[in-house]
Amino acid sequence: MSETSDKVVAISKPYFGPATESFLNRQCIGHLSIGFNALEQSHLKELAKWVEPAAAKIMDPNKAAEVAKKIARL
Amino acid sequence: MKPTIKNKLVGGCTGLLLVILGVACIGAFSVFSLRRSAFETTRVGDRLNSESLEVQVHTLQAHNLARAYLNGITTMGAEQAKSTFLDEAEFEINEIQNLAANLVKISPTEAKRAKFARIPAAADAYTQALDNIVKAAGNKGAAIPKETLDAYEGAATRLTESAEDGEVAGHESSQTSQEQIEATSKRSVELVTGVSLMGLLLALTMSVTLSRAILIPVEHLKQVAENVSMGNLDITVHRYSEDEIGDLADSFSRMVTAVKFFRSEVETVQAEAGSGRGGR
Repeated sequence: MSETSDKVVAISKPYFGPATESFLNRQCIGHLSIGFNALEQSHLKELAKWVEPAAAKIMDPNKAAEVAKKIARL
Repeated sequence: MKPTIKNKLVGGCTGLLLVILGVACIGAFSVFSLRRSAFETTRVGDRLNSESLEVQVHTLQAHNLARAYLNGITTMGAEQAKSTFLDEAEFEINEIQNLAANLVKISPTEAKRAKFARIPAAADAYTQALDNIVKAAGNKGAAIPKETLDAYEGAATRLTESAEDGEVAGHESSQTSQEQIEATSKRSVELVTGVSLMGLLLALTMSVTLSRAILIPVEHLKQVAENVSMGNLDITVHRYSEDEIGDLADSFSRMVTAVKFFRSEVETVQAEAGSGRGGR
């Protein structure tokens, strides 16, 4: 995993628990067309943009917005 | 300090103990001070009663000695009668004045003080009247003028009346002190009951607040767990507090999120597999 991937996992873990890696991998493959392990700093804003609506389907929308903001700020 | 359940419980129990201690201290202080005040009232009442009786006794004694002197002037001679009876009568009058001064000093009310204050004045007038008789009688026992005798009788009557008034006031003081003790003990019971009820109310409020702080989040988590166990994942997990139960709520929330995600993954995979089969 890239350093950026590690950082994103560390930030997202409190929100997604054991589903963190799978969730982020799905967003990266589905919307950024890259594997989660290949995540770079430049991808973060785009990732954050897709994380928010996807996360809002499985958790409180406020929390989804929160985690997306944290990813974007990395 | 982090508001953990442990800290809340420790804080709550300490608070309760302090409330109980405070109530006990206030109660003990109230009872002690009221008791002391009751004892003081009784002591003053008893003293007023006994000393006013003493004044009465000394007054009667002074009158008897003065009468004995008047009789003695003719039977034993003025000089002899004076040394036999009047010296003792002076002692009695002196006692009356000392006792009356003390009664005035310890009287609790202005009205009683005024009644007792009449005694020394009457005793002074009585002494003056007696002196006039002594002067009129002289050393040889001359006849005493009627107006001098009348003045003496008037002074004696006034002294007797003021001593009687004093005795009544003393007796009233004693009775009043009994009434005050009853009122004081009643007030003490009311005060202690009031303070205890206040403490109880405070302790009850603290207990209820503490229980609610723990029970409401636990009840919510129980409902969340029941929903998840029945397959209902469309629930929101609230974090009610920043303590261990709040952390537990976060864990529940993560767990529900992960289960939701994995379930949606499974559904997606199943849908893809289904459409793949259908396509073949």
